[in-house]
Amino acid sequence: MASAIEISPGRSFREEILRRGGGDAVRCYQCATCSSVCDLATSDMAFPRRQVLWAQWGLADRLLADPAIWLCHQCNDCTARCPRDARPGDTLQAIRSLAIERLGAPRFMARLVGRAGATWPILLGLPVLFWALLIQATGGFARATAPLSYTHVVPTWMIYVVFLPAGAFALAAAAVGARRSWAAWGRGATRSGGLLRGLRGVAGEILAHRRFAICGAARPRRLAHFLLLSGFAGALLTTSFLGVAMDGLGVKTPLPQIHPIKILGNASAVLLAVGVVWLLASRLAHPRAAGTSRGFDGFFLALVVLLVFSGIGAELGRLLLSPGPALALYVLHLGMVLALFLTFPFSKFAHALYRTLAMAHERLTEQRRPS
Amino acid sequence: MERVGVFLCTGCDIGSSLKTDGLPELATGSGATHFAAHPCLCAPEGVASIRAAVDAGAVDGVVVAACSQRHKQAEFRFDPAAVQVERVALREQVAWTHVPGDEDTQALAEDLLRMGIVRARKMVPAKRRAEGVEQAVLVVGGGLAGLQAAQAAAGMGHPVVVVERSEGLGGHLARVREVVPDVPPYDRLRANPVPALARAVREDGRIRLLTGTRIVRIAGQPGQFAVEVEGPGGREELRAGAIVQATGARPYDASRLQHLGMGASPDVITSAELEPMLWRRELERPSDHQRPRRVVFVQCAGSRDQAHLGYCSSECCATSLRQVMAIHQDWPEVECAILYRDLRAPGQVEHFYRAVQEQSGVMLARGTVEGVVPAGAGLRVSVRDSLLGEKVEIDADLVVLATGMVPNSADGEAIRQLRDARARVARNESEAQRKAAEEVAAKLAHHDGTEILNLAYRQGPDLPVLEDGFPDSHYICFPYETRRTGIYAAGAVRAPMDPAQAAEDGWGAAMKATQLIAALGRGEAVHPRSGDFACADFFLQRCTQCKRCTEECPFGSLDEDAKGTPQYNASRCRRCGICMGACPERIISYADYSVDAVASMIKAIEVPDESEEKPRILALLCENDAYPALDDAAARRAAWNPWVRVIPVRCLGSVNIVWIAESLSRGIDGVILVGCKRGGETQCHYVKGSELAHKRLENVQETLTRLSLEAERVRVVELARNEMARIPALFDEFAQQLEELGANPLKGF
Repeated sequence: MASAIEISPGRSFREEILRRGGGDAVRCYQCATCSSVCDLATSDMAFPRRQVLWAQWGLADRLLADPAIWLCHQCNDCTARCPRDARPGDTLQAIRSLAIERLGAPRFMARLVGRAGATWPILLGLPVLFWALLIQATGGFARATAPLSYTHVVPTWMIYVVFLPAGAFALAAAAVGARRSWAAWGRGATRSGGLLRGLRGVAGEILAHRRFAICGAARPRRLAHFLLLSGFAGALLTTSFLGVAMDGLGVKTPLPQIHPIKILGNASAVLLAVGVVWLLASRLAHPRAAGTSRGFDGFFLALVVLLVFSGIGAELGRLLLSPGPALALYVLHLGMVLALFLTFPFSKFAHALYRTLAMAHERLTEQRRPS
Repeated sequence: MERVGVFLCTGCDIGSSLKTDGLPELATGSGATHFAAHPCLCAPEGVASIRAAVDAGAVDGVVVAACSQRHKQAEFRFDPAAVQVERVALREQVAWTHVPGDEDTQALAEDLLRMGIVRARKMVPAKRRAEGVEQAVLVVGGGLAGLQAAQAAAGMGHPVVVVERSEGLGGHLARVREVVPDVPPYDRLRANPVPALARAVREDGRIRLLTGTRIVRIAGQPGQFAVEVEGPGGREELRAGAIVQATGARPYDASRLQHLGMGASPDVITSAELEPMLWRRELERPSDHQRPRRVVFVQCAGSRDQAHLGYCSSECCATSLRQVMAIHQDWPEVECAILYRDLRAPGQVEHFYRAVQEQSGVMLARGTVEGVVPAGAGLRVSVRDSLLGEKVEIDADLVVLATGMVPNSADGEAIRQLRDARARVARNESEAQRKAAEEVAAKLAHHDGTEILNLAYRQGPDLPVLEDGFPDSHYICFPYETRRTGIYAAGAVRAPMDPAQAAEDGWGAAMKATQLIAALGRGEAVHPRSGDFACADFFLQRCTQCKRCTEECPFGSLDEDAKGTPQYNASRCRRCGICMGACPERIISYADYSVDAVASMIKAIEVPDESEEKPRILALLCENDAYPALDDAAARRAAWNPWVRVIPVRCLGSVNIVWIAESLSRGIDGVILVGCKRGGETQCHYVKGSELAHKRLENVQETLTRLSLEAERVRVVELARNEMARIPALFDEFAQQLEELGANPLKGF
């Protein structure tokens, strides 16, 4: 047997989890109801019972290095059934938010986003202010005359100058987080192949949202999440195509409404809008299943809502509103996109990264539940 | 009785399963002087018909041939000074359990009737004892249970004397600030009620407090205890009707818990040692007088451990929870951890457990602590069998061992053996005898000076105790009962318990004590034969001083004079009849239960010739568990072998071997004795009866073998009260085995 686990039952970890909206693991009396209702639990992995025990004992390092916390889709079946109201699902959500913060680099950004419940005015406000000042400094607002053309106000080079470094930052930070978690998980298990093989193995599953279908209580969220994911993918493609079209083919914006890129963009916007409204509505309709996660979740949802609706608003506003308000919406949208880029590796959005990696890791370690 | 009347009930299927025409003649033939049948004897008209016969002086003995003695008791109760009643259970043992109209059924009913008539004829009127009964209750021990018992008994109108060895009242709880809540919402500490209770008892004019006092001697019997005490004011004689022993418990000797770090560091203490710190509000490590940052509580320290205390002390978990809550309230920065094997928070303590669990800086974790060793400036606790299945280590500044409780009792029987052994040594009759006695004395020497009650009883100066030293008598049915009538155990001396239970125990024991005083005032026994006022009669002219009765009485009823002749103390007696079963001279009897009466019942059984191939089986059933189980089986219309004749006995211990000899010599093919569970899990209402019956029967079986009778013809069976379903098979299998053995060769002699 390996040397004994040292437990140091301080109050700090427990309070950290509670602060993040987690459940109170100390209430757990190990009845295993959570593992019985959880689809992820296997005969040799009492999930999330074991994780709750680790949380009870303050074994933060174990929890943060556990890929299983990422496999949970937070259906909150366990929370709903827990006889002691220890809320395992919420605890896992809180642990994930802590993990995202601990894995993120640079640390100050991770901390800033980790405390989004308090820092959201900075996180959302600064990018908008940045854009407003930048446009003001380059005389953009003076060019905002009817008929409004956003390219006219914010030239393409400016978009590149801001978003390419921001995107690079996001990718670099994500890569650091990915490397750290992948390495940590690798220490606890033997993988049968590399990252790429693992990703190939789970890509189809992720795209089809198969896990959502298995997680009973999360089934209604499956379509909403799928819409949201497709919407983001569509928006990413739209942006890429647009870049190629404008710089490579000399296409001028605004594009006509029947242009394929425009159609793709609009379709993505609709998917995103429907998806996020659906998710919001289901959170409001089923508060118990939604859990009690606080600022971390709230920030992420607010960002997506503002992003999607400012984008749609800017597009419609150009046609329907006077230039002033329309431009305001556009600046808001640019700010939200920037905020998304900068916070992606540190916000709940990072689950896309870590869950994908965890699924790949799971695939490679053959710890799959019998299907 | 001389004028025995038979009153046959033909209701409840009895009339339809029997031919009743010949029964009047049978009754007369058996010596009855009166016979009447009634379609519903328990109806007012039926009862009135009996009463009329009694009032007219036509009968002084009544045989109610109807249902079991356990039913319709109020209807068929007559003044026992005027008339004796014998119940023949034709309903349970015939009508409900055997084929109606069958020849064997009829024979069975006729036998039972004959047996009942004979028994009624053998009964004699009992005289009610009328002696002065002392109303006072003596409470030994001034802890919570004792104080509560004193207050309760005083409240019920009895004078009370509390004798307390120490100078103060309240026992361990005297210096405890707050206790585990026993009132809603059960989630916060509650002010300790004991000081207020002690104050109330001090101020209660009906209660006399003797602190700093010990008991020198208790002589006599319930209702008439003569108590000699010695206190600051010298010796004094008191009288008491009943005694409550509430001497409490002490913590287990922690110096034996070296594997839990005791002795290795001054910073390993017991829960009892933590208590003064909480009382003074000065939490500090003994080693450096600094406040600990983390306190680790180790549960089951020496409890549930065969090397130490085999049992769960039941309140250490709640005590640790209470101490953690107290630490948390006064020093919220101190972290606490409780390491438990199973956290036992019975009843409403569960709410308190949850409340403690949710305090910040408190951790409860399951596991078995296997070591506590000094590490650096503190201690390191290692745990196995954790929920993770891995070993766990946790650092602590202070370790608190939750030690279990050991009853403050004295093993009366062991002390008596010690004294007897010393007397044998002093007599020095032979070298070998002296040596053996010296060995016994050395082995029991640790009981020296442990006496508490100092009873002047032949069987020892204190209450007999169970395996673990608790002076309980019968753990299932009779809390507070001990094996000394009129002396009741309450609180932690009876069983490990928490303060709330101890207070309840005080009430319970006080109620038993006052109930006993009231019963003695009416000249009656207490349960299980409550209401019985017939005492054992000793025909001492024929006594051979064999001392079997004085040794075997479970209740120490009998003392001995210098020659060894038994001296009966009627109000210590529980009327079990174990002395009657023991007596080889058959000189012990009761007015309504005697060796002769049962032997005559056996003689009343008609034993057919071998050629008829109708064996006969005698079944002696303990009336506490086996006989009620038989009634229940009958109520469910079970069926069993019709050759069985059942006689209820007070206890298997009351079965005199002569009954078995009588049965077999009369040609009865087999005898089955059905009694309570014995051994460690004894369910015998008289503690030792079933055990004694087994032992005596082993001797009988040897004798049978010598007489070339098969030992299998006599069988003893243990049957629990709820095992009514086993009864038919029990009888049927025995009958089958007897058939295989063949007929009793003594038939017809």
